[in-house]
Amino acid sequence: MNSKVLLISGCFIAAVVFLGNAGIFTDYPDNLDGSPVALVKKIVKDVTYRTAVDKSDWEIAKTGQPLYDGGEVKTGIKSLALVLFTDGSGLLRVRENSILHIYGQTENKKLNKDAFLEKGLIGFDVTKQQQEEEFKLTTPTVVASIRGTAGFMSFDNQDSTTTIFLEHGEVDFKHTISGNSGKVTSGKSALIYSNGNISYDSISTTNKKIYKFTRTTSSKKIIIETKYGSFEINYYSE
Amino acid sequence: MKKNFHLFKTVILVLLASVCGNYNFAQISDVISSIKTGQAKEGQPINIIAELRSTANIAGILFAYKPFGESEFIKQEMLITANSASVLIPAENVKPPFIEYYFQIDMEDGASQTYPLGINEGTAPFQINVTTISGKDKEIIVLSPNSGEFLTPDDFLISISFIKAPDNVDIKATKVFLDGSDISSQALFAGDLIIFSGENFPGSISLGSKLIKIEVYDKNGNLYNTITRNFEVISKEIAQQIAARFAYSGDLRIEGRNEVYNNTSTGYGNFTANFNSTYSNWKANGYMYVTSEEKSYLQPVNRFSASFQSGDWLNIQVGDVYPRFPNLILDGKRVRGFSGGINLGFFNIQTGFGEVTRKVEGSIIQKYSADSAPLESNVIAIDRNKYGAPFASVNLATYTRNIFAIRPSFGTGENFQWGFSYLHGKDDPKSVEFGARPKENAVFGTDMKLALDDQNFLITGQAALSIVNNDISTGTLSDAQIDSVFGSGSFFDADPDIIKRIKNILGRFITVNQYIGPLNPGELSSLGAEGTVRLNYFNNTLKVTYIYRGNDYISFGQNFLRTDVQGINLFDRIRMFDNQVFLALGYEDLHDNLQKTKVATTKYKTYSASLSYFPRTDFPDLTFGYYRYDRNNGLNISDTVNGLYTVNDLTNRFSLSAGYRFNWRVRQSVSLSLSTSARDDNSLANADVTYSSAGLTVNSFWLSDFNSTFNVFYYASKIAGDEFDYVTFSLGGEYRLLQNKLKLAFSLSPSFGDFKRQALEFTASYNIIQNLDLMFQLRIYRIPGQSTNSIVGLVSSMAI
Repeated sequence: MNSKVLLISGCFIAAVVFLGNAGIFTDYPDNLDGSPVALVKKIVKDVTYRTAVDKSDWEIAKTGQPLYDGGEVKTGIKSLALVLFTDGSGLLRVRENSILHIYGQTENKKLNKDAFLEKGLIGFDVTKQQQEEEFKLTTPTVVASIRGTAGFMSFDNQDSTTTIFLEHGEVDFKHTISGNSGKVTSGKSALIYSNGNISYDSISTTNKKIYKFTRTTSSKKIIIETKYGSFEINYYSE
Repeated sequence: MKKNFHLFKTVILVLLASVCGNYNFAQISDVISSIKTGQAKEGQPINIIAELRSTANIAGILFAYKPFGESEFIKQEMLITANSASVLIPAENVKPPFIEYYFQIDMEDGASQTYPLGINEGTAPFQINVTTISGKDKEIIVLSPNSGEFLTPDDFLISISFIKAPDNVDIKATKVFLDGSDISSQALFAGDLIIFSGENFPGSISLGSKLIKIEVYDKNGNLYNTITRNFEVISKEIAQQIAARFAYSGDLRIEGRNEVYNNTSTGYGNFTANFNSTYSNWKANGYMYVTSEEKSYLQPVNRFSASFQSGDWLNIQVGDVYPRFPNLILDGKRVRGFSGGINLGFFNIQTGFGEVTRKVEGSIIQKYSADSAPLESNVIAIDRNKYGAPFASVNLATYTRNIFAIRPSFGTGENFQWGFSYLHGKDDPKSVEFGARPKENAVFGTDMKLALDDQNFLITGQAALSIVNNDISTGTLSDAQIDSVFGSGSFFDADPDIIKRIKNILGRFITVNQYIGPLNPGELSSLGAEGTVRLNYFNNTLKVTYIYRGNDYISFGQNFLRTDVQGINLFDRIRMFDNQVFLALGYEDLHDNLQKTKVATTKYKTYSASLSYFPRTDFPDLTFGYYRYDRNNGLNISDTVNGLYTVNDLTNRFSLSAGYRFNWRVRQSVSLSLSTSARDDNSLANADVTYSSAGLTVNSFWLSDFNSTFNVFYYASKIAGDEFDYVTFSLGGEYRLLQNKLKLAFSLSPSFGDFKRQALEFTASYNIIQNLDLMFQLRIYRIPGQSTNSIVGLVSSMAI
């Protein structure tokens, strides 16, 4: 009798695990406290995520994936993820080969946001923040405070340099190691080196191209017909 | 119990409407049949469409509007197309609690009237309630889709955030409808988020235009707010084309209609084409409207325009454009020509030039010999060889008038901007034969904006000086003419050399002769200036404005500015009880006669107040308004010398409006508007005015494809002793059938009392194929014992 119970229980658990992995049940984690601070609006190709609770594995992200405080999004080659904060105040375009950490704390119906770019490139469109509301973009070496602006931010984890480019608006930033601070204004960019040195630049063709690239979110599809069937490759194109 | 409570409140609203009285849109006019304003929300532009009974004999329509607490009406030319006139109130002027407005209709014979009738005699203007966005609309955020967004089935995502919603909202009770189907059970509730992803339901999302409706409920089960959003689901292939290449859309519309007005039948035809395209950061738009009403002897009715825009840094418009400079210089005026700007941030430049008035030739009334020509304003010299006489009285022609405006500025405007404006306008004396007194105008202005603390502390200011020449037909004075006219013992006792130097400086900008003004520049008669300080702290929006406009200030780019006025305007809007209650207070103290050109100085004092309640419970939105306008120039009608010029009147006006959405058997939307005003005129005219009106509108949504509208309107006025009362009932409905391909709309509006009329409107539109629609329109207006007028039209429109 006990062995039957154990067998049935074992089958049931195995079925649940199998179906769960197959995505039959809810796709989103429900074991987290609080409310999501962001969600993934659009996905192109290879986008994975992981939660602050479970740092072991990267899981495949789907459109509408909620991101809780401490959640991370990773993009692969030629991939893209659009991330929206739940207060509607900011859209981040996480470009290929990037890792972005999302942090958010709600206080009195206001969401203080911090998007930490571990590596790679993100484009941002941030609306004007309310009073006592904060939007920070950070890299391992730089903290930037955003109000209402659009541009891009990149972090090169080889030489630890951060680039900030603004299409409009202005951003105050600080190098966390040296304490050097600065400001980027509309149409300008700043390159912040690992030692805290800052180099400013007016609109350069390269940065304009990168900014334009960050705003492009369409993908292309190639269908390869073979004698074994057809393959569909969906990819992001520069 | 709850149903009874709904019924009770509905009955109360109906009773209120029947006791008091006003629904603006049912006021009588022989030009405008109805007005559509759409929903007015703070910071969002409002499109105003006035349906016209007939466009015959209309030369133009001006739309005059005034946000609450502002000192004067802003006037804009309306675009007349087919049998409607439209205008857009810019987003920055859409401010709660309400906007007052009226129409000024200019007829071809030179006559002018306002709608509502008698604005200048004290009739209250119309009112649009502006709901604040800071309430419910800011609390529930639709993260996806964006309005008008194109999504593929794979990217399909509906997401609603309640992160800012109050605690009494029951998130799990929220209902989400996609094209009328309830999809709430398929949505995921994750904390403060509701998510519905198309990826979880493959194959269930069809292509085409979509409408989502979100109904939010409070914890008592009452409807808290309803949000709707339109978007498109497109195939991946089309999405690639749109994103990667050239995306375009447009529509063509052709209309034929016949109007029977006072037993005269007239046929009209018009063609409209719209084209919009985007490529990368570039946007290009084109518009064309061609009508059979275009006449060479009138100002143009046809409209053509094309615009190009690249991001925020470049914009170019050609054709019929409406350039916007500081409002003292050029704002809201149609220019047939060019308008454009380059915005680099640290330096920007904006320009606009072209024709603002088209030449319209005059005609000879009577010829005169040199001896018999009378001294009248319309008697001019004519070509003796051509017409056989040296003088004639004429119907005066209108000159071609061109303007040129330019404004360089420094700074983005986010925190600082300093601009300099120059406008030059001139009549072309050679453009017509029977013209008189061609004019020329130059305006020099500067404006500045300083914004601190994230624009919570804002200082703006502008100033402009104008010069006008009221007759340039004789050209600039020569040095010999100056020597003969000026100098000791001459007609003007002024140093001729100084006059020559002035001529050499001013002559670069304007024709210098004896008709140039102002004549009293030292008195700042041609100066226009204003400065505003706005503070946004402690739930208060406080604005203080000082204005000064000399009696000679004139800009050919701004015909609608009130001149000869100086004073201050104070306005404060206070947000209370978590943005549920808004109290707005205004005070204005102005006076005229700045250059002592009038018998007495008139003081204008206005007090205004409004209290709005936007509850988060199941209760109607309410707005109560009060307005007191006092004009007095200190003269008394018993004054035997100047009594005729007495200005002494006082107007008090109260208004109340309410809106309520609820479910009683089906979804209902009720709006109520009450207004009463009294003017006590103590001048010789003794034009006392009392006016009351009440209106109630009930929209009932019986089925997803059928809704009805019921409206009752009562109006009572007494103007200078003449009483005028009437009541109008209106019943209409809209029914969609054949899978929404056929739409039928019908309304019947009989009026009783001193104004008797029956109005019937019927519209049927049919979607023949995916992008081709055909619409039939019939309007009949019957005035018993007088006439039956009708408009029958057929419209075909095609989307590209």
